[in-house]
Amino acid sequence: MKKYTLAMLLCGVLANAGGFSPSIQSYIATLKSEAKQANSSFVDFNAKRGEQIFTSKHIGKKGDSISCTSCHGNNLTKNGQNATTNKIIKPLAPSVNKSRLTDTKEVQKWLRRNFKDVYNREGTALEKGDVLYYIQSK
Amino acid sequence: MYKKIIIPLILISGVYADDDRWGNRGDVAPVKNAIYAKECGSCHFAYQPGLLPQRSWTKMMGNLENHFGSDASLDDATTKYLANYLKSNSAERGIEYKRSRKILQSIRPNETPLRITKTRYFVNKHNEIPKKMIVQKAVGSLANCAACHTTANKGSYSERAIKIPNYGMWEDD
Ligand code: HEC
Ligand code: HEC
Ligand code: HEC
Repeated sequence: MKKYTLAMLLCGVLANAGGFSPSIQSYIATLKSEAKQANSSFVDFNAKRGEQIFTSKHIGKKGDSISCTSCHGNNLTKNGQNATTNKIIKPLAPSVNKSRLTDTKEVQKWLRRNFKDVYNREGTALEKGDVLYYIQSK
Repeated sequence: MYKKIIIPLILISGVYADDDRWGNRGDVAPVKNAIYAKECGSCHFAYQPGLLPQRSWTKMMGNLENHFGSDASLDDATTKYLANYLKSNSAERGIEYKRSRKILQSIRPNETPLRITKTRYFVNKHNEIPKKMIVQKAVGSLANCAACHTTANKGSYSERAIKIPNYGMWEDD
């Protein structure tokens, strides 16, 4: 019994390696199994790849060149400004904005919308996981 | 029994279709719904439902995936809930509010505008503003109501509360 609890605790610590909030941890686990299904050699998400996804420019939904940084800026600990409506967006970095990456429904909604705006398609499980690792590292 | 009363009432309302006799309740009913404020206020100012007619909102809510070039899609339950909120608070439902009434009167029956900023009433009210005051970074476009109307979130668009970023209070002359 004790051993079992210890093992569970250890698993918890390992799964929390990225520092994600509990609700997002289970979303990350789902994305991992999806990524593994798509590619059996998948090991883990990667913040460096996530940075590339976040900062690179693409022809988006509107037909213009756009990146995630067009609205969120290059420094995720600072405010961004929506490129289409000019409204200020609070920082994405969980280190300075505690409400970020805490609500799975919210995160799924914005990833769906924002990938469509920037990539003109939905993100894959691999892309979503990578980009969440990148944001969480900020 | 009821018909007798209602018909004269409708006739009277026709006669009093003039500004002040309606008993003005202000410019437009403020947003009091937290879900609307959150979901429709994340990308831009949460426009009051009383700024457009029912048919405009219904059309808009039917295609949130292609919302002015952006994806604003929501889950089905939230979409339905907000469509209903917009419908029951549209300009027609706020006819006692001056701006709702004026906007409504400026739209032809065969038109279904998706932009408040394209309605005749709105265009007439904003056609004297120099372009440089609009295109600057702090404003961007006329759709950014709250950038200039400091009390927009209360549903008040009074001329006395207009402050254009970097240009100061609006002086009408
Ligand atoms: C057109 C502007 C725009 C672009 C481009 C954009 N976003 Fe966003 N994003 C937003 C807005 C607006 C919000 C919600 C604002 C808020 O909560 O303050 C948001 C929220 C998010 C959130 C939710 C965070 C949370 O937990 O609250 C994530 C994650 C996110 N964006 C990631 C991305 C990624 C990844 C990209 C590129 C694929 C991207 N965004 C591109 C406008 C944009
Ligand atoms: C993902 C971002 C996003 C969300 C969420 C969003 N919108 Fe928009 N909305 C836009 C953009 C972009 C525009 C066009 C802005 C421009 O061209 O200046 C716009 C424009 C509008 C306009 C027209 C403004 C004008 O010019 O008069 C209305 C009305 C509107 N939105 C209503 C809504 C409603 C109602 C909701 C909630 C169901 C909503 N929006 C949610 C991005 C969004
Ligand atoms: C660039 C700044 C700016 C923006 C953005 C802006 N307005 Fe205005 N608005 C003005 C000015 C200036 C006037 C006064 C024009 C005049 O009468 O001389 C005005 C007038 C009005 C009036 C009439 C007020 C009166 O007393 O006659 C209404 C209603 C109004 N605006 C609503 C809106 C709404 C709704 C939006 C967003 C969809 C908006 N405005 C966006 C600057 C702005």
